[in-house]
Amino acid sequence: MEYKVEAHRIMSISLGKIYNSRVQRGGIKLHKNLLVSLVLRSARQVYLRDYYGGICLSAQQAREWCEGEYMDSEQDKLVPGSKESMPESDGQSEVAVDKQEPSNVVESHAALDVESEASGEQDHAEDGVLDSGCSELKTPEENPEASPTFEVPNGVTTISSNCISGPPPSNPEQATETPNDCQTDGSESVEENSLERTVPQTCTNRKRSADDSELTDSLPKRTKVMSPPLISKNDEKRAETEEMDTSNVSSLITIFGSSFSGLLSSEDGAQPDSEADQDSDSGQICCDQMLKNLNPWSTAIVAF
Amino acid sequence: MAGVAGGNDFQWCFSQVKGAIDEDVAEADIISTVEFNHSGELLATGDKGGRVVIFQHEQECKNRPHLRGEYNVYSTFQSHEPEFDYLKSLEIEEKINKIRWLPQQNSAHFLLSTNDKTIKLWKIGERDKRAEGYNLKDEDGRLRDPFRITSLRVPVLMPMDLMVEASPRRVFANAHTYHINSISVNSDHQTYLSADDLRINLWHLEITDRSFNIVDIKPANMEELTEVITAAECHPNQCNVFVYSSSKGTIRLCDMRTAALCDRHTKFFEEPEDPSSRSFFSEIISSISDVKFSHSGRYMMTRDYLSVKVWDLNMENRPVETYQVHEYLRSKLCSLYENDCIFDKFECCWNGSDSAIMTGSYNNFFRMFDRNTRKDITLEASRESSKPRATLKPRKVSTGGKRKKDEISVDSLDFNKKILHTAWHPKENVIAVAATNNLYIFQDKIN
Repeated sequence: MEYKVEAHRIMSISLGKIYNSRVQRGGIKLHKNLLVSLVLRSARQVYLRDYYGGICLSAQQAREWCEGEYMDSEQDKLVPGSKESMPESDGQSEVAVDKQEPSNVVESHAALDVESEASGEQDHAEDGVLDSGCSELKTPEENPEASPTFEVPNGVTTISSNCISGPPPSNPEQATETPNDCQTDGSESVEENSLERTVPQTCTNRKRSADDSELTDSLPKRTKVMSPPLISKNDEKRAETEEMDTSNVSSLITIFGSSFSGLLSSEDGAQPDSEADQDSDSGQICCDQMLKNLNPWSTAIVAF
Repeated sequence: MAGVAGGNDFQWCFSQVKGAIDEDVAEADIISTVEFNHSGELLATGDKGGRVVIFQHEQECKNRPHLRGEYNVYSTFQSHEPEFDYLKSLEIEEKINKIRWLPQQNSAHFLLSTNDKTIKLWKIGERDKRAEGYNLKDEDGRLRDPFRITSLRVPVLMPMDLMVEASPRRVFANAHTYHINSISVNSDHQTYLSADDLRINLWHLEITDRSFNIVDIKPANMEELTEVITAAECHPNQCNVFVYSSSKGTIRLCDMRTAALCDRHTKFFEEPEDPSSRSFFSEIISSISDVKFSHSGRYMMTRDYLSVKVWDLNMENRPVETYQVHEYLRSKLCSLYENDCIFDKFECCWNGSDSAIMTGSYNNFFRMFDRNTRKDITLEASRESSKPRATLKPRKVSTGGKRKKDEISVDSLDFNKKILHTAWHPKENVIAVAATNNLYIFQDKIN
């Protein structure tokens, strides 16, 4: 349990660092961000390990969640995302290429995860520890082409950085969902006020798109903008590679944000709890399940 | 050369300190690199403001032979300016990452200085004579009217006050997408390498418009990026050999004769990780921040966050010596992660005879290890102990519960006072230690 809290704290700190590195002088430092991402990944692994050690949802519910797997929709999103930001220059074309690749990676990672953990993990689907679980919601329009790999909501090691990602400062066209706050405690990893201001906006968007108004009501109070850090991280990696393209940012955000509504509608209207609450909120938990099944980590990082 | 610790060995005493005493340190004044030249006569420092200051060792006073000469400012110049990359909307810092001296071939001195993106070759020359008696212009430089010239004379060289001029002779730009972390002059004195996070380029000192890429570890899919290059160095006497270290704690030795692209290493140095000490931060603290060949070329030394390791080039599976620099920080890694100190890149250096190594720590402490006696000593670079020729007192950090007198507890260490850059004179027991914006010079006490 201690580890979980500690892991969570480290995750928030790491995200803050990633976010801050965007505004540091001299450009984004690839080395430092790589190290931070490794720490983030380790912390997430510990966090999820503890998470799955706790209470789990019923297998049935878990299976339901897994059906409309976010992963696939994410893959779908990735491709259009990459096309959106199709740049002209060489560097950018490389970016575009990489963007499309993650979808493959996502699949393969998911497959790996499933194969490795296909042992009755479904029983662990329920988890009451999701106080701040980075839960994601899918848009209803996401195609639930449940890839067979997502049957089991296992403690995927690939972190769902999506959970940490949120809507971009400006994303008018899509009902992006702000992820539930990954931070349970007060430690703010994101300092930017502007980000928080955008949260209500995106929450509103989600409200419109999601049928479940109850959930959306409660979500705003939980959401913290985690996406900017993550996106900036992706940004960093990309910027380091070739260029800093804001269109990439928005497309990435689109990708992440797209998945919320689906989960929302699947939820039983359970309210996501405020932080630090070990609530057996099935909706919340299911979101978490989704989250863990994602292979968002590396994907997110190099999504564009 | 004698040992580092007390007893019959030499004792380190304060010699000089350069830099402002001000409590308020301007960011631009923070020293970012320190390097002696090959003779030790010159000591160069680079700072975050892009300036290079070169100190010269004054001749010893004949009437006071026990006093070694001091280092005084020889030349100061602005090496790099802040730039802006318009394509990427990135500011390029002017901070000098590394300075490397070229071996001296004539009366002038040459050094390479680099920031994140551009390497420059500077010539530092002396001028102590000036020509007088030109025919076409008079003494203040004005052109003379040719019709007024009735006779010709040969200009003569007259002595003048010594003037030290630094002029940029070459600019090696636009070859690195990522931040340059190392430069190293080859033993052939004609080429040098520059390394950034993912690539290493080989340059010829005379050619600025192109370089050879000899190492490229950028993955086709950046998503698969797992390690970056953290430091690189040319072998001191084999001009075909170089090493580069990675963020994963590994070192690769490459032979340029094997292939044009040295992606496949000749030797791979890695120490197996101790599984019992695994933590969230294991990867960060294993990242190597500096790699240095010994002067002999037989060994190399690597610095990671908590330790210094000496490797025999003939043995790849583990280092021959490991020295703990500040093991007491292992339990504090989380706080050090929070305040970013865990990302500090400490350098290390050998003494001239390769019998001792030195590296920095926090609280303005620096550590020396004697490889023969296995003794180590912790010293502090502080204004308080900066009385002329005052012997430095060994410091100690208390790790247990009981704190002895004169010991400092781990919690009272000042993590803002870090010594990242140190340099050891190539021939004598003189060391230069950069403490934020101050440069301390210590010498042994000749009894």
